[in-house]
Amino acid sequence: MVEKIKAELGAALGGVEIRETEYRERGYHLSCEASPGELLKAARFFDECGFYLAAIVCVDYREYLELVYIFANHSALCKTKVTLKLDPAKPAAPTLSAIFDCAYWHEREIREFYGVLFDGHPNLTYLFLHEGIDAYPLRKEQVLLADEDKKALGAFRPEEGEDTFFVNLGPQHPSTHGVLRVVLKMDGEYIQSAEPVLGYLHRMHEKMAENRSYLQFLPNPSRMDYLGAMSFNLGHVTAVERLCGIAVPDRANCVRVIATELNRISSHLLWLGAYLADLGALTPFLFVFDDREQINDVLEAVTGSRLTYCYFRFGGLYNDVDEAFIAGTKAFIERMRGRFGLYEKLVGGNVIFINRTRGIGVIEKERARKYAVSGPVLRGAGIAMDMRKAEPCAAYSEMDFDIPVGTRGDALDMYRVRVREMGTALDIIEQALARLPDGPVMAEKVPKKLKPPKGDLYHTVETPRGELGIYIVSDESDRPYRMKWRVPSFSNLMIFPELARGNLLADAVAILGSLDLVIPEIDR
Amino acid sequence: MLDLARANSIWPMTFGLACCAIEMMSTAMSRFDLDRFGAGVFRATPRQADLMIVTGTVTRKMAPVLTRLYEQMPSPKWVIAMGNCAISGGPFVFEGQYNVIEGVDLLVPVDVYVPGCPPRPEGLLEGFLKLEEKITGKRRFPGPDSRW
Ligand code: SF4
Repeated sequence: MVEKIKAELGAALGGVEIRETEYRERGYHLSCEASPGELLKAARFFDECGFYLAAIVCVDYREYLELVYIFANHSALCKTKVTLKLDPAKPAAPTLSAIFDCAYWHEREIREFYGVLFDGHPNLTYLFLHEGIDAYPLRKEQVLLADEDKKALGAFRPEEGEDTFFVNLGPQHPSTHGVLRVVLKMDGEYIQSAEPVLGYLHRMHEKMAENRSYLQFLPNPSRMDYLGAMSFNLGHVTAVERLCGIAVPDRANCVRVIATELNRISSHLLWLGAYLADLGALTPFLFVFDDREQINDVLEAVTGSRLTYCYFRFGGLYNDVDEAFIAGTKAFIERMRGRFGLYEKLVGGNVIFINRTRGIGVIEKERARKYAVSGPVLRGAGIAMDMRKAEPCAAYSEMDFDIPVGTRGDALDMYRVRVREMGTALDIIEQALARLPDGPVMAEKVPKKLKPPKGDLYHTVETPRGELGIYIVSDESDRPYRMKWRVPSFSNLMIFPELARGNLLADAVAILGSLDLVIPEIDR
Repeated sequence: MLDLARANSIWPMTFGLACCAIEMMSTAMSRFDLDRFGAGVFRATPRQADLMIVTGTVTRKMAPVLTRLYEQMPSPKWVIAMGNCAISGGPFVFEGQYNVIEGVDLLVPVDVYVPGCPPRPEGLLEGFLKLEEKITGKRRFPGPDSRW
């Protein structure tokens, strides 16, 4: 695959040097530097080959700005990095939003944080920042906002038409699971267009990452996605370990899998409860919290926290698991297996639930690719893609599990996929417990001050919500030069306006819930 | 008398902002059962609530919304700041930060502070007891030993 893409991309671009890179170190197979025209050509080429645009990252190297585009594929492991250099005084680039829909939002984000203008972008308004901001936050030197940008800041003013009106969903609304605001343009009961407004929980994680050492940043990822805190923690430590070349003992890897999967179950459980509460069924909420507390008990004993775990350290674990943990996990598996029948009776077989979710929010495969959605949403749409299988970290490569997929891609499928995923997570935990080796849980001689070699890395892990990509640029100092978090909910939310269009307001709430969004993760 | 009634039926407004909101939900749910203190009736509108529990980071973009909601609540009203973020900006305060309000007491008066990142549900329960104490002047249970 890599060879083939290299040859074909070379032919499509004509004369651009395409380098093969060491995948183990860099996280991508091919890289090339393009001019604006070539970038468009490359994007069209990847679009035709069925690739998706995983992320767009902007890095400020002071002498120039660099845009990094990561293209990846659902069926085979082949990642390509295309870079584009920009002039820092007047950064401008062509937009890819006509080719890949997901670029629309990524480009708006970059515009806000770096001031890059994208030619031909349909709507370059502000997405995250508040109106009082006066500089581009992620630029290395202070660059004040240009005048036209100041205007763009407050430019979002909904205009009412003759037969339409606006409904503000959020920012403080129970069914938005946090502080997402969606401005809905309504025609009677039907939605004409939906426009999410983000940034009500923008907590500057990426800026903080540049300001502190790798070690000091450890607690942050779990605050980004507090429901899948373990996965984010895992992503962060494995990325840095990969960058520094630290080998982790087997026992630690195994425990990492167990803890991450337990956390995945608790995240899916909370989604289940919250989703049904959105649909008007409050009882399951009480049931899922009962199960969640069991997981919390088990994890709290070894990690020391109930929610925002910071259990994994560079090179291993914070402390070893004991017999009580193993016994507790086994008891939980036993209990949880028995609960699925209950949930099936209460929810899965419930006619009201089925009728409310069947056939709404249908995501086709092609659309899923264009928007680069991931995780259960992608699998619900019928694409069997799981980063635990595609790019296994920790001990996932030794686990045997299958990937549940949906058939129709509607909200009901998302529910079924998530419930079955809880089952596979239990299987994985059982396997990991069975082969839990003895030995140390911490690699020897991990330096206190990590100074990874110069270079960049795009590392992905599967979180409960999908593909988390971490792009780190190291300049050999003890703090990352740039750390970009490509978060799953962000891409999953992008598809919402399309899904909501033409639907009833009540259905839009059901669709929004089926995407399983965690807002602090989107806003970062 | 009125105070006693108020203290035993605090109706909080759901104001979940971030991570701490999940712990607030845990407090209200099966195990910790906030209903024992008559405070489990979470209202989704400020007009029916007496108490705003600010659970999580308040950003500059969120601040006007928060004050507006507070002003919409009928008196008497109370505020609990739950978690380090709501108390002081928590882990997100650093030099040059541009988006976080360093403590919600800069926006609205706060009655009880519950520290933690996130606080345990027991912590929030203790916060409720403190608030009841503040309203009635009496404590419902003997408090934890405060020798240290
Ligand atoms: S105090 Fe901690 S747990 Fe609570 S919202 Fe802030 S970061 Fe999250």
